[in-house]
Amino acid sequence: MDFDIPEELKMVQSMVRDFTTEQLKPLERIVLGRAADLSDTQMYLPLEKEQELMGMARGMGLWGVNVPEELGGVGLNVLGNCLVEEELAQTVVPFGFGDVTPILFDCNERQREAYFSPVLNREKNAYLALMEPDKEGFEGMEMKAEKMNGGYVLNGKKLSLSRAGEDYFAAVFAVTDSARGPREGMTCFLVDKGTSGFAVSGTETITGWQARERRPMSLVFDQCRVAAGNVLGEEGKALHLGNKWLPSRRIVRSARCVGAAQRILDESTIEAQTWTSFGQFISGRPSVRAALADIATNIHAARLMVYETAWKADQGESIRREAAMLKLFATQMIHSVADNAAHIFNAPSYVGGLPMERFCRNALAMSSTEFALQLQRNIIARDILKGLKV
Amino acid sequence: MPLREQRDVEEIERVLNHVLNTASPPVARCRLLSTGFNPGHALNITEDIAGHKECIGCGNCVDACPFLFREPSRYEKTEQRTSMALESIVGADCDLCDACVLACPQVDTTIKNYVVQHRMIEVMSRLEQRIGDEDEPDLDLFTEEAIG
Repeated sequence: MDFDIPEELKMVQSMVRDFTTEQLKPLERIVLGRAADLSDTQMYLPLEKEQELMGMARGMGLWGVNVPEELGGVGLNVLGNCLVEEELAQTVVPFGFGDVTPILFDCNERQREAYFSPVLNREKNAYLALMEPDKEGFEGMEMKAEKMNGGYVLNGKKLSLSRAGEDYFAAVFAVTDSARGPREGMTCFLVDKGTSGFAVSGTETITGWQARERRPMSLVFDQCRVAAGNVLGEEGKALHLGNKWLPSRRIVRSARCVGAAQRILDESTIEAQTWTSFGQFISGRPSVRAALADIATNIHAARLMVYETAWKADQGESIRREAAMLKLFATQMIHSVADNAAHIFNAPSYVGGLPMERFCRNALAMSSTEFALQLQRNIIARDILKGLKV
Repeated sequence: MPLREQRDVEEIERVLNHVLNTASPPVARCRLLSTGFNPGHALNITEDIAGHKECIGCGNCVDACPFLFREPSRYEKTEQRTSMALESIVGADCDLCDACVLACPQVDTTIKNYVVQHRMIEVMSRLEQRIGDEDEPDLDLFTEEAIG
């Protein structure tokens, strides 16, 4: 049993840690707005600053950490990606090392040129159009694509939480064969900006307090004609896209929870060592010490789970159940860490401006509902009932 | 003080199932099928309210409703947080998840037990649909990509 992180990954970890500490953390005030006046919060970094940071990341040879080498990325393994994500999650500054959704990894040669490379280089934004208004999940998805004159005609409405930008295209999931159900009857289309019949709304910049909210963009397709060459992957196989890479993303997201929790622990430690009540530092109080110990124990357990599962994924083993366990545990872990941090900060964890509010918000975006966790429990239980050993 | 005997579900099973199958938040009708306030309530009042079945306006059902969570604009239609308000703002769009029934302090535990044991199983089939078999794609991974 070897618990050592390989030397080259240690190097990557230390580079990203330095980058986060020296470049990103000083920008937190810009992103959060002045501490006393949150009215100038910004969701994203100014464009010039982002370009500058991007240049630095390229210089470090770390742009596109999750993107395979043949697609122009760094092609770090899962453990490497987890280490990078853990470091980046320790700041609220929204900056990633060229993260691209694996759904786009299945682009063909032409699509690579026209769509994938511009997304990797941040020249274009990909609007992932999966969700529909008033719909939950994939059953009953209404967006339709009909074959016509060698191409397709798209009709329907989509919501997208992707980042808005000047130049963009949409990766739209539409039903091409309703009889075969979503798993075999859904196709993904790449729709360019300016295609007739394709309109986007809700991208206007929001300022002030409202900037803290993320609102979905609305994508409307009305008799929108798309060429057959713009099908991503195969027809009817949209939900098989990126299936080699997608499961391991769950591990990387859990690494984000670990990173966020680590920062909460760091902030809580500083608070405990500097804040006094009744004439003594609160770090002397048993309840505060217990909270710190519980936070640290939780982080340690989650981190070990992340590293072990990532190692398994890198060995090419199936990680379906482990990734489900990880998502379940990491989500509960960050909730419990936020609760414990609330003891130390002496305020509820949702109060704006406190670290747990910000970090938890970033870490929990995709697993804050009980239904999402119930899904993971079901995956685990199904495996156990099949007779597999845990 | 021993708990007063609560509604025996066998007596009301048919009508309860009818209520739970109707596309509208079932909480208010389940409350009316319950036995109301217990004589041992801890409210600081002199009036005898044992057996009263009114909605106490706690708003638990409104907070528990996943449909309103997805469509928060409906909250703006009323400031009331009663089960009647829930029925009027959700109406036939109800998911029939029965979360409101479980959240209501005025619904008998016997009815809640029935809901958990006989109705919640339906949630599991929805979960199965989302996950699929071992070789099939995990649809939730795509949702995570879209949200994350």
